[in-house]
Amino acid sequence: MTAASPAKRFRDLGSKAVPYLLILPVVVYYFLFWLRPVLKTLIDSFRTAAGGFTFQNYIMVFTDPNFMPALRNTAIIVVFSVSLEFIAALFLALLINRKFFGSSLFLFVAMIPMALPAVAVGAMWLTGLTAHGWMNSLLYYLNIIAESHKIYWLTGSEWKLLALIIVVDAWQVIPSVMIILLAGLQNIPEETIEAGYVFGGDYLTVLRKITVPLLGPTIQTAVILRLISAIQIWLIIVLLVGFSRMPVLVERIVYYHEEVPGLDISFQMASGYTIIVSLIVSTAALLYLRASGAFGSKKEAAR
Amino acid sequence: MATLKMQNVTKQFGRNVIAVRDFNLEVKEQEFLVLLGPSGCGKTTAMRMVAGLEEVTTGKIFIGDRDVTDLPPRKRNVSMIFQNYAVWPHMTVYDNIAFALKLKNLPAEEIDRKVKEAAGLAKIEMLLDRLPAQLSGGQQQRVAVSRAIAVNPDIFLMDEPLSNLDAKLRVSMRTELKAIHEKAGSTTVFVTHDQSEAMSMADRIVIMKDGEVIQVGSPDDVYHRSRSIFVADFIGTPPTNFMEVDVRKEGEGIHLVNSHLNLLLEPALAKHLNTYSKDKIILGVRPENMLLVSEDEAALSASCLVSEPQGSHQVVAIQLDDSIIKVIAPASPTILPGTAVHMSFKQETLRFFDPDTTLAIND
Repeated sequence: MTAASPAKRFRDLGSKAVPYLLILPVVVYYFLFWLRPVLKTLIDSFRTAAGGFTFQNYIMVFTDPNFMPALRNTAIIVVFSVSLEFIAALFLALLINRKFFGSSLFLFVAMIPMALPAVAVGAMWLTGLTAHGWMNSLLYYLNIIAESHKIYWLTGSEWKLLALIIVVDAWQVIPSVMIILLAGLQNIPEETIEAGYVFGGDYLTVLRKITVPLLGPTIQTAVILRLISAIQIWLIIVLLVGFSRMPVLVERIVYYHEEVPGLDISFQMASGYTIIVSLIVSTAALLYLRASGAFGSKKEAAR
Repeated sequence: MATLKMQNVTKQFGRNVIAVRDFNLEVKEQEFLVLLGPSGCGKTTAMRMVAGLEEVTTGKIFIGDRDVTDLPPRKRNVSMIFQNYAVWPHMTVYDNIAFALKLKNLPAEEIDRKVKEAAGLAKIEMLLDRLPAQLSGGQQQRVAVSRAIAVNPDIFLMDEPLSNLDAKLRVSMRTELKAIHEKAGSTTVFVTHDQSEAMSMADRIVIMKDGEVIQVGSPDDVYHRSRSIFVADFIGTPPTNFMEVDVRKEGEGIHLVNSHLNLLLEPALAKHLNTYSKDKIILGVRPENMLLVSEDEAALSASCLVSEPQGSHQVVAIQLDDSIIKVIAPASPTILPGTAVHMSFKQETLRFFDPDTTLAIND
């Protein structure tokens, strides 16, 4: 090859640059709206009200009397709601996947909660769970309770509230988990399942030894998505019981940001909480993926 | 090993789709039976009912003396090879083969022995630790075969097991499957739409169409004594040639006549038409039963459209009005397009079909 003319070299450079030019808008977008706020939050969490460097925000966060309850409540919600939602969603997905008469109508009905925004869900359940709400009306109408024995859903022990929140959250979230699992189920070739029956399996054996293992990657996706959003739960709780009555981690972020702006470092404390929650979410996701064998699995690599 | 009996089995889907209609079949011990038919003829549904993967609408199914009509698949002691192999991708080859044995709670040494024996028959002993994703299609098929052998079933079901393999492998797997069948001595029902597969493997062939049995017989039977135009057309490559001809009785003899053809039937054949009252029949003749002869011996003359060399022979396509007939001729001399071809028939092989019922007249 002889040396290329300057014009050709310029053209070559141009064609090499094209791919980078094409992804430039995304890079700019990510820098402005993702990377910059993340860095800013990180920096803010180490700043005093006047702008100097400090650990005081984190000390405040950890000594916040609501920090430990928030951590505990979040952990309880994550463990119970993810398990409950996964089991219920798997059950529903298996049911709908059998394609019985009316299964598509059933699927449609089951999907409704997914279409509602969290605020609407909160409002709906709040009107249902007050003393004169529709839950008590319904139970009374069905002759399950007497008029004088109204159930006070939203009062009482923290455990009762936690259980209530887990149930309400599950009500909204199960459809989205179910739809992921259903898609996974429909990707399993029917013959693979049928072979399980022909070669001696009953329903539970085939479910345990064939269906669920083959659904593995889908289950991973569904659980990781749920795990992350369960750690981030707050809106439904604040809508049902208000701020600080049932503290959870992300609620504290919003609490310091929205409810106590009078405190001069409320924004910095909210940033501190944000960083802590991010670390918890990443760690939990990583631990789960490690435990479920998503890393270094030869099976997946061979596919 | 056992016999299989299906009695008046009907399968209906929904309100008006009848996939299998009043199906009767007896498979003898150690027989290799092939269900053959075009897609949608109900052959796979019939097999799936034997496996228990499909419920029977009416009728009974017996394996040996056992009425299995209402039993779930796992209690029927059948094994099946699926079209898409259906090996379990998350289990090693060993675990795939051992699956059914483990569910039977056999002792570990016995499982190990049976797995290795079955793997040996299908020649995959060296692949036992692999996962299916690391195997070729042909090897996965062998895993499916081993898995099916290992359980020592009463009935062996094979649902188009070779159709996903490439053409060459398909033919060699045919031979191997047949050899495995000889060794294992298993009663086998094999579903296919490939007639040459059916011909080469079957002890008996059941030809199905629109959910009904059209003909049951040995490969020779269905080939040489096809009971209807459908069978004569479906079996054989190239298939039977059909010509509509007039039946003319002139004096003692019977002539078959159309615009190209004037054939005086030999008495042995003519007698089949003695009681036939209509004046037209469909004449069926296999491509290899037409002989190229000199002009004065010819019963039929026309010009060659194209010739397809096959090495050992050539297939000569001949245009007759608006239909094309095919003749198998010796490889040389090559017959060029446009040349005149003079043909006669091996009369004893001719088949006569009623144009209205499409059924054979000379049975």
